[in-house]
Amino acid sequence: MLANVLLKTLRDQGRTLLAWSVSLALIVATYAAIWPSVQSQPSMSDFIDQMPEAFRSLFATSSADMSTPTGYIQVELLSFMGPIAVLIYSISAGAGAIGGEEDRHTMDLLLSNPVSRGRVVLDKFAAMVLGTFLLAAVMGVSLVLEGSMVDMVLPTDKVAAAMLHLALLGVVFGSLALALSAGTGHTGLSRGVPAVLAVLAYIVNALAPLVDVFDRIQKVSPFFQYIAHDPLRQGTAWDSVLVSAGTAAVLLALAVVGFRRRDVAG
Amino acid sequence: MQAAHSLGSMSGEDIVQTAGLTKRFGRTTALDGVSLTIGPGEVFGYLGPNGAGKTTTIRLLMGLLRPTSGTAYVLGLDAWRQSREVHRVVGYVPGEPALYDRLTGRQHIAYCAHLRHRDDSELAARTAARLELDLDRPARTLSRGNRQKLAVVLAVMSRPRLLVLDEPTSGIDPLVQQVFHAILREHTAAGGSALFSSHVLGEVERVADRIGVVRAGKLVAVERLQELAARSLHQVRARFAEEVSVAEFAGVPGVRDVRVDGRSLACSAPQAALDALLKRVSARQVEDFECSEAPLEETFLGYYGMDTAGTGRPGTDTAGTGRPGGVEAEAGHAR
Repeated sequence: MLANVLLKTLRDQGRTLLAWSVSLALIVATYAAIWPSVQSQPSMSDFIDQMPEAFRSLFATSSADMSTPTGYIQVELLSFMGPIAVLIYSISAGAGAIGGEEDRHTMDLLLSNPVSRGRVVLDKFAAMVLGTFLLAAVMGVSLVLEGSMVDMVLPTDKVAAAMLHLALLGVVFGSLALALSAGTGHTGLSRGVPAVLAVLAYIVNALAPLVDVFDRIQKVSPFFQYIAHDPLRQGTAWDSVLVSAGTAAVLLALAVVGFRRRDVAG
Repeated sequence: MQAAHSLGSMSGEDIVQTAGLTKRFGRTTALDGVSLTIGPGEVFGYLGPNGAGKTTTIRLLMGLLRPTSGTAYVLGLDAWRQSREVHRVVGYVPGEPALYDRLTGRQHIAYCAHLRHRDDSELAARTAARLELDLDRPARTLSRGNRQKLAVVLAVMSRPRLLVLDEPTSGIDPLVQQVFHAILREHTAAGGSALFSSHVLGEVERVADRIGVVRAGKLVAVERLQELAARSLHQVRARFAEEVSVAEFAGVPGVRDVRVDGRSLACSAPQAALDALLKRVSARQVEDFECSEAPLEETFLGYYGMDTAGTGRPGTDTAGTGRPGGVEAEAGHAR
């Protein structure tokens, strides 16, 4: 696990990733446990229908029908809890990637070896991507396995598609955090800016049907790429995948350039 | 190792060469036009008070900082643009050695060895044993001295051509310092060079061939340690059987602070003046004689003390490094 910067970074994140994985499995288990009582309560859907439209847009993407497993998971997990969990991890991992080692003063030790700064950024990026995909995979597997135990049957391929889009959402904001971390070395800033932007992007996408300005810029919101096409029903939208991957690639390139140009904090 | 040597032979004789190296942070100038060279097999003692620019120089050489202007070359490689190639042939002990808290010494060695694509664990283990460092404890449980030792192990294990040492012996007890000095001597005996920074002369005078003094970002003097020793003043006292006069001794070139009180004489003289002075003294009937050398630290402060302004002697820096053979010969002698 000490063979290169990527494996070393994953090793450092081992406990964090394990804790996140267990938490996600438990969150999904909680939703699965509640499912039977929700299913037998058709009034839940009425409740959502009676919500003010703005409120409904924020918490329930598109037309969610709480009486089906797909609609239930859409509202309960994919609209809010899932993205929050994945984003907290990916933004933290991205922000800590370069700035974290500088805060702990270990960057001098790392870079005194014949390792290029570009390689360090690439390895840290790869670790963040792998971690994010791992968490999305844990969530997806939990959904399918734990769901099947309580008759909350979800189509595996659609779950996989939704998790792919969820992971990409995390990777986009994680890459932004990484670019800020590599370019500035300030961990707090690198964590805060993507977090605020994620909230804004969420609101823009959710309230687009209601607010004209948001409607015009909705497509630049990474949340649009993530959920607007309803992946749990429609599967993978490859154009959205491309947009997300392209965004991450541009941010990664900026991270490499930013880190190669600046002084390392000692 | 072979690769490192071929790099060296292509790059001329200087291991380190900086020219007008300048670093500004915002409006503060941390380093101002530093030009220095370090030859093969040479230990360059880099002295200055804290905050004078020692660490800035070192981090520029390591490619961790980008020069505002000027250049730094290590074995002919640009320290900023070719830092990865530079790091292949350089071992670095940072000023405040930061380690990975959860990794043991052995794991640090494994990680660095992997990053260097060479297995240096055997030399690392031997060096650690000499320094009496336990490699199986996680870094967070190590004392400051032990962290320093681990940083030294990591720096020397790849048999680098150049060691860049930022106050490497601070926090290490004197016995271990001796081991460290021995390791450094073996390194130079094999042709390796070193930049050794410190804020006290005593720490480097036993190992350095030349001393550079940096103050407020400027390199104010570069001295061959031997020459500094030669200029160090000796305190001479003598008591004669009869009364003497100031004029008899004041005329000797180099002799200063001549004080005569009846039959006794006190004066200071550099090494070069001792012979002439002794002859004058022995022309009289001597009852008692005493000659003691002032500690190097005192001499040094006398020349470059905090109150001394100015830029020192610009010529002395380049004087020695043009003849690496001479440097090595003198280096051996200085120790």
